[in-house]
Amino acid sequence: MEIIQVVGIGLLSTVLILVLKEQKPMFAFLLTTAAGILIFLFLIGKIGTILGTLERVAESSGMEMIYIKTVFKIIGISYIAEFGAQIVRDAGQESIASKIELAGKVLIMVLAVPIISIIIETVMKLLPT
Amino acid sequence: MNWLGDWLRELILVVLLAAFVEMLLPSKSMERYARLVLSLLVLLTLLSPIVSMLKGDATGALSLAMDQQEQDGGVLTGAGKGAGSLEKILADGRMLAAGVQEQSLKFAAEEVAGQMRDQIAGSTGLQGAKVTVKLGMASASGSPGDGAVPVISSVTVALPAASPAAGAGSGSSPAAGTAAGPASEPIVITPVEPVQVSLGADQEEDAAAATAASSSETPDSSRPAAGKGADQEDVESVIRLLEQNWNLSREVIQVQRSGAGAEKL
Repeated sequence: MEIIQVVGIGLLSTVLILVLKEQKPMFAFLLTTAAGILIFLFLIGKIGTILGTLERVAESSGMEMIYIKTVFKIIGISYIAEFGAQIVRDAGQESIASKIELAGKVLIMVLAVPIISIIIETVMKLLPT
Repeated sequence: MNWLGDWLRELILVVLLAAFVEMLLPSKSMERYARLVLSLLVLLTLLSPIVSMLKGDATGALSLAMDQQEQDGGVLTGAGKGAGSLEKILADGRMLAAGVQEQSLKFAAEEVAGQMRDQIAGSTGLQGAKVTVKLGMASASGSPGDGAVPVISSVTVALPAASPAAGAGSGSSPAAGTAAGPASEPIVITPVEPVQVSLGADQEEDAAAATAASSSETPDSSRPAAGKGADQEDVESVIRLLEQNWNLSREVIQVQRSGAGAEKL
């Protein structure tokens, strides 16, 4: 049961961090980051399984690969941005964390630009001039 | 009705995918933005028959735009790829410019060669000279910041072989009537000997025929070199003309009689 492992790592690191925080706040932060990366690496295999399944289903049903590529990019950007923002937030830099999230949002919107342009072009062609 | 089934299937799949991916997203803050893109994808799938009717291939255009985005740097990795693509674009540009330059140089060389041929024909009366001009790029002297300028790197003039027939045709030619030296041998074609086929005949007859054929050619090749001086005069005049008219140095001009070796000066 992996969930027990994940919760165990989380509890253990929390206790250690609480102890360390009194003596060495710097090491507490490093431990926080390390625990976060560990849990993320634990989950990345599972995420890979899910995405692989999605890809296989889409491929076998003849769905356009460009759609699935776009969706995967959205997932990747949001995970990476969220992860970085959480670490920075743990270190107490709330403003930098929000900037990282902003960057993630902007990059997701950039992915929307080609889709929007195609839709708008189609609508403009539909409209009588 | 086949397209309708395809379209419906694709639509259902995209909606399912969008719902699934929304669950997969890590936080609430990203959710609104991701949902926007996903709903746009659903909308595009809905509209795809209309898009393909009006615009052609919708997914093709989308993948083209996505590839363009990737080449401009990509949303996930960023700078490294962008720098590479910039270098690639610059290299492509240089290659294109070089190709265009080469083409224009070739065209200019042909033009210059035509003019030189006309001048040679006009002033020395030598008709049918074959002029080959090679243009090269040299950096402009005096202004190092300036780009390269085209210069004539070599001129090769192949003068026609002066045969008695050609001499009679163009009376003004200095080479008219001169006997050809060893350097400009007129082509003599001996008439084909009557072929005699005798099966099982002796070999001596064939051998005799062969020696007769070869002996008929020998007098031509052992002709005295009488027109050598006139040839030299022609060559000199052509070189002088090109030097004066085109402001060339002697080293780049190369004049040769056709059928003979180059007369490098």
